[in-house]
Amino acid sequence: MGVKSITTLLLLGLAVLSLVSRGTAQAEDIAVVVSSNNPATDLSPGDLRKIFAGEKRSWPGGQPIQLVTRGSGCPERVVLLKLLGMSEGEYKMYWTAQVFRGEADAEPLIVPSVGMQKEALRLFPWAISLVNVRDAKSGMKVIKIDGRMPGASGYPLH
Amino acid sequence: MLKGGIRTRIDCALLILALVPASSRAQTASPSDQETITQLVEQIKQLQQQDHDLLERIKILESKQLPASPAAEVGPSLPQSAEQTAPPPTPEALPHEWHDVHGIRWRGFGEVDYQVLNQRKPELGTGGFAPGSQGNFYTNEFGLFLTSRLTDKASVLSEIIFEEGDAQSYSVDLRRMLLKYDWNDHLKFSFGRYQTNIGYYNWAFRSAAWLQTTADRPLVMQYASDGGLLPTQAIGVSVTGAIPSGKLGLNYIAEYGSSDTIRPDLNGSGQVTDENNGNHVNAGFFLRPDAVPGLQIGASYYHDQISNNDLLSGAPAPLLPGVLGPSTRYGQTIVNAYVVYVAHGIEFLNEGFLIRQTVIGGSLHFDQPAFYSQFSKQLGRMRPFFRYQYVNANSNSNAILDDVGLRYGPSFGARFDLNNYIAFKAQLDHTARGGEPDLNGLQLQFAFTF
Repeated sequence: MGVKSITTLLLLGLAVLSLVSRGTAQAEDIAVVVSSNNPATDLSPGDLRKIFAGEKRSWPGGQPIQLVTRGSGCPERVVLLKLLGMSEGEYKMYWTAQVFRGEADAEPLIVPSVGMQKEALRLFPWAISLVNVRDAKSGMKVIKIDGRMPGASGYPLH
Repeated sequence: MLKGGIRTRIDCALLILALVPASSRAQTASPSDQETITQLVEQIKQLQQQDHDLLERIKILESKQLPASPAAEVGPSLPQSAEQTAPPPTPEALPHEWHDVHGIRWRGFGEVDYQVLNQRKPELGTGGFAPGSQGNFYTNEFGLFLTSRLTDKASVLSEIIFEEGDAQSYSVDLRRMLLKYDWNDHLKFSFGRYQTNIGYYNWAFRSAAWLQTTADRPLVMQYASDGGLLPTQAIGVSVTGAIPSGKLGLNYIAEYGSSDTIRPDLNGSGQVTDENNGNHVNAGFFLRPDAVPGLQIGASYYHDQISNNDLLSGAPAPLLPGVLGPSTRYGQTIVNAYVVYVAHGIEFLNEGFLIRQTVIGGSLHFDQPAFYSQFSKQLGRMRPFFRYQYVNANSNSNAILDDVGLRYGPSFGARFDLNNYIAFKAQLDHTARGGEPDLNGLQLQFAFTF
């Protein structure tokens, strides 16, 4: 009887710990980040889609937008493709077409780690990127989408 | 990924533990329970220790590879533990592209084709294809695409095409050469040789067969140098940009330039028409509404003046009785409208044209409608497609496009993407021609980019 009680308590405790370690569902949101010096604070979902589709290429002040993305398979990439309504293959073809049309110099920069995302935002002060909200670092300014921060109810990127 | 793997293992262990009570309650406690629990707890401790060790190593590697940067505050609602959870960076400090901002970027595209037509009477052959009853291989166009960014707002773009002609001869065409200056999203200038923005196709697919779903362009969108109906190239200035319109996504296009064109007759007569185009004006708009991502609706209006100056082997072609001479000028107006949807694996292109050529100072005019509709759907790597096109050019001897006449019919086939760089296409065409036998054809194509 004593063993069973201890076992149950231990397992319950571990299960709770497991839930805590996973974090809440909100923590899986994908944040839109820019350099800390970028004055942007809020974007509409439509503008965000246009930016990552290369249709909107400059900030309101005229500064060129530099896209920084994560590679195939990352949660940030999955959200990006969902935002654009494309598969990975369509995304690659879309950007090749954008380059051939003269609408873009090159495909968006792909970085393999959060650390390099941070570095990219430091090097390109007008860059924008998507990052798992749990991985947001100092030097990354999270901007609102439709007035909502990641974790807020109705936040669209997750 | 490493971090994710460890977490997964820990969570799996916890999940197993969490599931155990349900079954353990139904069983009688045995002496082995205690051992099992002890082993599992020990395993969790080991995994946690491994997790901790690896994160420490990641922090050491990051501190070695990334220079310290001034820290800015992450939003107050966000966790600050990113330093502990970041995956390890790759050995390269910076991707190669980062060093290439001011260099020349090269891209290229090409194709290898096989085509066979059932025609007896040869028509115009282009791109190395020799029309006749036998099929043959050809390479059509091989393109080099160069861009260079000069400043944040200025850049240079060029597209050099090597096009196959008769008997494996190749000619070079500077298809595009543009000095671009993007003031902002609302005002973008391009100076140089450009592809006229008449319609969607010319803008969307440019010269690259690899970008096209089908093996060839619709007839109305063929390059004028390949017998196409439209002045597809010009030298001048092009201005485009977004018009503040909220969720409507309205954009404008304005072009002014010289679009002097020599186009060979399609019917295989050997004649070419030197149109001696004057300067053209092209104005258009398109909208991309936020409500339907992938939808683009546009229209354009083009106007210039041209001649019907027929040449045969470089000399003026003999004039038929009643035909106006080369000194007669025509006002050419081309109106285009299109509705296009490209998203979620669907491609649905619909474009219509009305080409009107009016004798200046007279009442004689020729209206020549054309349209095409193309639908395709991505199914894995395969993209089956169907296209129907229609061109009704006036066959009056005074009409400049009299060699084209009436042509319409379907094309269907499939594009198969072997990878992100190579595609194979197979296409069957059936074309009905006014006053001529129907034309059936098969095209096979490898298109690639690099």
